[in-house]
Amino acid sequence: MKSVKAAKRLSAFVRYFVLVVILLMLLFPLYWVVLTSFKTNMEAYAYPPTFIAENPTVQAYISLFTENAEFFVYYKNNLIVSGATAILTTLLAVLGGYVLSRFHYKWNSLVAAILYASQMFPVVSRMISLYGLMGKVHLLNTRTGLTLALLGAMVPFTTMLMSSFFDSIPRDIEEAAIIDGCTRPQVLSRVVLPLVKPGLLSVGIYSFLMTWDDYLHCATLIQSDELRTLSTGIALRYLGELSYDWSLVNTISVVAMLPMILLFFFFQKYMVKGLVAGAVKG
Amino acid sequence: MATTAANKVRRRTTLTQRQGDTIFSLLLILPTILVTTIFILVPVVDSVIQSFLDYKMKNIISGNPGTWNNFENYIKLFTNSKLGPAILQTFIFCVIVVVAQFILGMALALVLNSNIKCARFFRSIMMTPWCVPTVISALIWMWIFQPQYGLMRYIVSVLTFGQVTDLAMLNSPSTALLGIAIAALWKQVPLSTLLLLAGLQNVPGEIQEAATMDGANARVCFFRITLPYMKSVIKVVLSMAIIENFKQFPLIWTMTGGGPNNSTTTLAVLSYREAFVSNNLGSGAAVTTVWMLLMIVVVVVYNKLMGDNETS
Amino acid sequence: MKKQLKLTAAAVAAVMAFSLTACGGGTGSSGSSSQAAGTGTGETGTGEKVTIKFANYALLEDAYTEFWEGVKSGFEAENPDITIEWVTAPYADIVSTVTTMAGGGDKVDMIFGEGTWTSSLVDSGLVIPVTDVLSQDYLDQFYENSLEASTVDGEIYTLPMYMSPFILYYNTDILEKAGVESVPTTYDELLAACEKISGMTTEDGNTIYPFGQTTASVAISGSAINSMVYNFGGEVLTADGQLSIDNDGFKQTFEMLKLLDEKGYSPENCKLKDLRNLFALGQLAMYYDQSWGISGVENINPDIISVTASANPLAGGSGDGASLLSTQTLFYCDNGDANRAACAKLTEYLMSDEVLGDYLNNIVPAYPTLKTMSMPDNPALQGSTSSIDKAVAAPSVPAMNDLNLELCTLAQAVTVTGTDVDTAIEEFRTAANNIIG
Repeated sequence: MKSVKAAKRLSAFVRYFVLVVILLMLLFPLYWVVLTSFKTNMEAYAYPPTFIAENPTVQAYISLFTENAEFFVYYKNNLIVSGATAILTTLLAVLGGYVLSRFHYKWNSLVAAILYASQMFPVVSRMISLYGLMGKVHLLNTRTGLTLALLGAMVPFTTMLMSSFFDSIPRDIEEAAIIDGCTRPQVLSRVVLPLVKPGLLSVGIYSFLMTWDDYLHCATLIQSDELRTLSTGIALRYLGELSYDWSLVNTISVVAMLPMILLFFFFQKYMVKGLVAGAVKG
Repeated sequence: MATTAANKVRRRTTLTQRQGDTIFSLLLILPTILVTTIFILVPVVDSVIQSFLDYKMKNIISGNPGTWNNFENYIKLFTNSKLGPAILQTFIFCVIVVVAQFILGMALALVLNSNIKCARFFRSIMMTPWCVPTVISALIWMWIFQPQYGLMRYIVSVLTFGQVTDLAMLNSPSTALLGIAIAALWKQVPLSTLLLLAGLQNVPGEIQEAATMDGANARVCFFRITLPYMKSVIKVVLSMAIIENFKQFPLIWTMTGGGPNNSTTTLAVLSYREAFVSNNLGSGAAVTTVWMLLMIVVVVVYNKLMGDNETS
Repeated sequence: MKKQLKLTAAAVAAVMAFSLTACGGGTGSSGSSSQAAGTGTGETGTGEKVTIKFANYALLEDAYTEFWEGVKSGFEAENPDITIEWVTAPYADIVSTVTTMAGGGDKVDMIFGEGTWTSSLVDSGLVIPVTDVLSQDYLDQFYENSLEASTVDGEIYTLPMYMSPFILYYNTDILEKAGVESVPTTYDELLAACEKISGMTTEDGNTIYPFGQTTASVAISGSAINSMVYNFGGEVLTADGQLSIDNDGFKQTFEMLKLLDEKGYSPENCKLKDLRNLFALGQLAMYYDQSWGISGVENINPDIISVTASANPLAGGSGDGASLLSTQTLFYCDNGDANRAACAKLTEYLMSDEVLGDYLNNIVPAYPTLKTMSMPDNPALQGSTSSIDKAVAAPSVPAMNDLNLELCTLAQAVTVTGTDVDTAIEEFRTAANNIIG
């Protein structure tokens, strides 16, 4: 009996140990960034490093807000582009996903295969042609062009994800509605859509988060600084060839990731549901 | 087909409804098909075509179409010594990240699934790195790996009791790829944990209990019952990880740009460098074509492997 | 249903075919559409107004932003009918940005860049000879060697704004404390000085590196290494752009880099900005940089300037102290007469004593290219004034950028990887022949 107890205790210890180690790995870098952002540049360059800021300063934040106004332009652009992409993506994903889930024509599996394959192509390989294409329709260096390109990148996965949400809605409800005299569009908008609301939200937030992460599309399709989005703007502006300013870079990192983290925590329920639904069924 | 026939017999109106459905569904899926075709399929096909052409930046500027050059892009690619290492680099990176990600993710998921206190809270905060944009995570890790005053240098020197005092993770060809892999893991482990955890929660408790009753120990129970039960989730988690890391670009480009001494030049970096730094679009397209072919091979082999498991 | 399937397939095929031809057409007709874009930006409809699209990476560099914004506002105030529109990308990406833009039918009017970019920009067909924009009389006011670096096939393709060799910056304080009495002038003296400095630490206990040379993979590092080859009396390319690496100077350069690395005298795989950072923190005693690099140092720690001085590049082997001449230049593209005239105006405004003279004196220490302009009175440059006379304009080939990156790879091979010099040089030869051949 004693040995069972000891084994239990050991297993609890091992479990907490694994938990602590992995969580530390995941969370300490974040602490480190936040910490550095409150250090002076000279303290940040000290070795061995300090684990609590000796002379905490908000100077980097002040200079970010006062001198680096363009940072907030990137922010605004990213909100516009990611927001528009998220809405459009959700719309297309709902329409496409509904069809993939409900109608089993032969070409549907072809479409599904194409959507699956589309997720695999490296972005770099598409950029040159995409550039030419955007140039042709005069959408280069515009937010519209960037949004469309991102939409193209997001649609395949989100459509598949959305279709797995539709899969979980029983068909009987629709059949009943049709017998009641509803047309297909009415069934979709009045009966099915309200049922997949969580799916809509998770697809929307997912595509928002993913486009917030975009670097290559913006780097290639946008040339003026005032139209750049966050990742590209930061990489291009604050990692200049002339010198580093690590304090500022860390401050920027904090300000840039904060809204995403908040967004995630706020909509956590839907995000988790969406991601899991996509994985377990997709 | 059988149902169509049955419907036909049953009622004429069903037939028209069926046609209506077809048109309706076509209309609905058309935007998706259009967007995917225009923004993904056409550019990809276009890039494959370019890979057979002598196609440089000057062609784009002067408006001269590329000219067929007898596979020269490919010949050059296979004769110079860059492609082999790049393929190797890509595979090493992919394997390290995917395997480590699975092990760490599984470990964390198992812990979170056991009756541990505050599991929900831990599940929430563990997701934070996943929300951090890739470029930012590159910056965070560049700062940690900074050779003169970085945190990692300090930690390693403490852990090795002062034996290794000058660790410069990203500046040494032997460790640079590992450094990037760590950054990639940091961002990706949370999502795989979350998915694996969901998979674990889907495993019916009774089955596990039954197995334990039969005297199966925890390890046997895990490998014989839990893992097979989670197969579909594992398959998705692994394939997502493979695809993402096989085409990883911004992280590597920001952190090392392919250096030092080409030790982190993966296919992604090589193609970007050929196309946009050397301004040789044809040659860059040849790299991406090889890359896409490899990707297809990997996915097919992977599906085969996972599929075979199912039958056995 | 089969019909449906066929129909959809046909529709998909049609869409794809259409888009494909659209793409082809895009590249095919971009020549004419770029013309259209050019006149479009000229806003001919509203009269005389002209917009100059100016591609400028320096706008993203903290130390320079204010100057260039000042140029814009100052120039626009003087010329109300001309507007400057910035096109920005970081240093490493600006060339591909302007070329991809041109590919999309949108040419910039001017590019702020470097002499080493000339060949590849000329090869891409993007830039036009400077004489299409500025008069020969105006060009006669420039120093010969500055224009030499801008010439391809007898035509001047870029206007040098100012120039600098790679000079040796050093921290007077550290050298004094280490007991190095005179600043090294040769690589042997450098090694001796490094020996003395090696092992020193800063007040807070950080290692002080004796000497820094950039080798990380960016094109500018390649130029720095190329300059070092000149230090040793060697060359990388012959005057007509052929690969020429079977000279002692070339090999000695990499033997020196290897030696410096093995002795632990140099921080490994650094970008210039890493070196500037270390230098600014007092953790680097000496390093090679272009004269303007010091503004990056100052940006991090203004106090360091009081202990900073410069010296002529070192001589090694059979070298006589030659180094690579770098120029920061203006390139022009053709978007019609009105835009070219506006570019000429902007150039003359930029090159004026009030604007550039002030810039060289206060922001970017460098050597003027205009004969009429006096040498800037910058204390940091005093020790290295004569270096400009021995600086050589490197022959440039279209793949200069690539070649420079290969030079970095070679330097990394002998340092961080630890390959022996001969093997590494052979690997370089294969790679370089692939690029040039």
